Amino acid sequence: MDFDFSEDQVMIIDSARKFLEKECPKNKIRELKEDEKGYDPELWSRMAEMGWMGLILPEEYEGTGMDFFDLTILMEEMGRNILPAPFFDTVALCSLPILEYGTSEQKKRFLPKIACGEEIWTLALTEPSASYEPSGVELRATSLQEDYVLEGTKLFVPYANVADRLLVVARTSQEGITALIVDAGSQGIKTEVIPTTAHDKQCEVVFDKVRVPKDNVLGEVGKGWEIVEFLLQRVSVLKCAEMLGGAQFVLEMANSYAKERVQFDKPIGSFQAIQHKLAEVFINVEGLRRLVYEAAWNISTGSPSRLLTSMVKAKANEVYQQTCIQGVKVHGAIGFTEELDLSLYFLRTKASEFMLGDTGFHRERIAVELEDYQPLFMSV
Amino acid sequence: MDFKFGEKEEKLRKEIREFTKKELPPGWLSSMLEEESDDKEWAFAMSMSKKLAEKGWLTMSWPEEYGGKGASLWEQLVYSEEASYWGIPGVTMGIGGVDWVGPSLMMFGTAEQKNKYLPLIASGEPDGIWCTAYSEPNAGSDFAKIRTRAVREGDEYVINGQKIWTSAAHRARWCWLAVKTDPDAAKPHNGISVFVVDMKSKGITVRPLMNYVGLHIFNEVFFDDLRVPAANLVGKENNGWYQLMHSLGYERGSIAGRCYGYNKRILDELIVYTRGNGLFREREIRHKLADIAVELETQKVLGYETVWKMSKGDSPVYEPSRDKVFNDHILERLAMLGTEILGGYSQIDPLSRNCKWTKLNGHMEKLFWLFLGFAFAAGTDEVELNIVGQFGLKLPKSY
Ligand SMILES: Cc1cc2nc3c(=O)[nH]c(=O)nc-3n(C[C@H](O)[C@H](O)[C@H](O)COP(=O)(O)OP(=O)(O)OC[C@H]3O[C@@H](n4cnc5c(N)ncnc54)[C@H](O)[C@@H]3O)c2cc1C
Ligand SMILES: Cc1cc2nc3c(=O)[nH]c(=O)nc-3n(C[C@H](O)[C@H](O)[C@H](O)COP(=O)(O)OP(=O)(O)OC[C@H]3O[C@@H](n4cnc5c(N)ncnc54)[C@H](O)[C@@H]3O)c2cc1C
Repeated sequence: MDFDFSEDQVMIIDSARKFLEKECPKNKIRELKEDEKGYDPELWSRMAEMGWMGLILPEEYEGTGMDFFDLTILMEEMGRNILPAPFFDTVALCSLPILEYGTSEQKKRFLPKIACGEEIWTLALTEPSASYEPSGVELRATSLQEDYVLEGTKLFVPYANVADRLLVVARTSQEGITALIVDAGSQGIKTEVIPTTAHDKQCEVVFDKVRVPKDNVLGEVGKGWEIVEFLLQRVSVLKCAEMLGGAQFVLEMANSYAKERVQFDKPIGSFQAIQHKLAEVFINVEGLRRLVYEAAWNISTGSPSRLLTSMVKAKANEVYQQTCIQGVKVHGAIGFTEELDLSLYFLRTKASEFMLGDTGFHRERIAVELEDYQPLFMSV
Repeated sequence: MDFKFGEKEEKLRKEIREFTKKELPPGWLSSMLEEESDDKEWAFAMSMSKKLAEKGWLTMSWPEEYGGKGASLWEQLVYSEEASYWGIPGVTMGIGGVDWVGPSLMMFGTAEQKNKYLPLIASGEPDGIWCTAYSEPNAGSDFAKIRTRAVREGDEYVINGQKIWTSAAHRARWCWLAVKTDPDAAKPHNGISVFVVDMKSKGITVRPLMNYVGLHIFNEVFFDDLRVPAANLVGKENNGWYQLMHSLGYERGSIAGRCYGYNKRILDELIVYTRGNGLFREREIRHKLADIAVELETQKVLGYETVWKMSKGDSPVYEPSRDKVFNDHILERLAMLGTEILGGYSQIDPLSRNCKWTKLNGHMEKLFWLFLGFAFAAGTDEVELNIVGQFGLKLPKSY
């Protein structure tokens, strides 16, 4: 048992923090809210130069071959600073499934482009049912000679407005779900940005008879849900790390405000009502940190746990939201404004909660695991 | 980063599981705060203390010369987790014998004190049972304001005053007693000293206090011209506060594991119970169980973090308070959910052991009726949150 970071990990954290503070200050984040693309291509190429897109891709695909835990702590920094860019979407939601399920052909073709920052990818999974259950996938992919023809609508597809390729989860038969790699420029794709509170460029993507070559199936036909499970069971930990970083920063903001803001001739942090609020938030953020690291370490070392990942996502959803709510309370009226950076975080919590499963969804998955599990006292 | 236990710890885990299978009655479930109340339970607890001592587990983290095994903090954690999951009674040697009296004596005691008291605790015999007398009617959270007075007369101290909530005083052979030796100290913290007191001495009266379900956990203890040899002063006169704060560190390694193991067992019992009677199929119930499972996993890794910091030689400041608050929240939720699950059966008196309607050995009712007391003992939530705020977040003192 050892919770120290390695030297490499400390370097990832330090360099990411410095880089993001300098290259992605809060005024830039605000500008990007109004930007049509929602990200800064120049910043994107610099991130690629830092090796972030290929951080955990093997060297043969132009990556740096680090591990899942390393990516986890990088995501934590991105959450801490807020990085409006399709990083999670490209790297976590798409490059990792390709690495895991792609043919060697597909890996060679797609991964280096991701690693070099040449291509933006995103996952087109959820639909108007806004569900992460297999039953939510209704978009049809019908076989026609060498192609599939896609027909249907995907909703809440992050950064589809700027994506080069989409990883589309489609229904290929009554029971069969299949993941397909789709050129975003294909004929018949119509993308429209949804006005989300966070202005984070989530899109509606309509597929009107879009043809996709059968070579572009990722994994096996009919077994696409395995890929979604891979995302739910592993990749969601990266989202949790991002949420952890955000929660940590909001806590720090509220804590310093509580020390500076004087009312009734005292810093408000000396009022117990405020101090205990902050202490409870602090306890939960520290707990979330250890959970995220535990899950990421398990994945890194080859023993992912469906139960643990769902626990982490459920906890992250709750802690991030509570941290922001309590953070606003500590700030009083200024916390209610756009002006305060806290709002940038708070407004993003809904997207993070929904991404790869909200609290109720993961609670149910935990319950399913508990239903089958053999308690220690009955097994010894 | 490494979340795995070593071979040594895993081996110990297995040994303890084998031990519990052999030594505990089938289906055994034990509760906190209970063993000192009932004569039969107490006798059983004492018999287990003895067996734990023989295994070398009772005081495993102590050096060999005092009856320990020099076990690492991680081994101690594993032992605490397992012992409380399986409900092995008799692990503490009264209140504090293992957790703080022994360690404090090692740090501050004279050679004579160490040689006398440490082997007694490590032996698991009734002569190694302690009570801890800090709280007084007017000094609970504000412990530094204690008034019980010790005055030096020759090579003795004469002690007068009253303690309250003294758990297990009715079982203890020795008392770990905090008193005022300098009531005029500029800061009340600087006038406190710690003594070892023989509970058989003249001048001590123990009066039982019953808790609301009728358990005899704690007592009032009165001191009337109690004469204690000066050799029983632990460490330096008026240095008691500092000593107590320092020795707290020792207690901390075992607490987190103990709480987690205990809670995990309750959760497991509730899962099995609700699976058996179909309640698990109710979404509301299984989701509450799921939520608590998340909290327990969090508790586990937070506790590990505390132990990890200690294992690196850091002295955790706010972490134990953090872990305590976290545990109190979990206990409250478990108690509420456990009795919700029992429904009407939660009305049954937890002490009526033989009632045929009692579910889960009365464990959920016990938890419900005891969790509040457990939360107060060793520092209330509010006081622990003050510590987290002041030392974890560096906020100004709020009181
Ligand atoms: C939507 C909105 C509309 C408003 N409209 C008006 C208006 O029309 N006219 C107007 O004059 N004002 C208005 N206000 C201001 C409002 O009255 C103040 O926000 C409120 O009095 C709190 O003051 P503050 O925001 O400066 O927070 P602060 O007083 O700085 O408080 C910050 C935090 O410290 C806590 N705190 C402060 N003192 C204590 C204490 N003694 N004990 C414990 N905790 C303490 C607070 O509860 C809060 O959580 C409005 C505010 C809002 C949000
Ligand atoms: C089951 C049990 C076993 C115990 N065993 C022992 C024992 O063996 N030996 C021993 O010495 N003592 C023992 N105690 C006593 C225990 O340590 C005290 O109960 C505890 O320190 C609180 O003191 P109090 O009960 O006097 O409450 P108070 O200190 O009077 O507190 C009353 C309320 O005020 C709150 N409060 C007090 N100060 C503050 C503050 N600064 N900020 C915010 N809120 C505050 C408290 O949180 C609490 O809610 C035991 C208690 C229980 C319940």
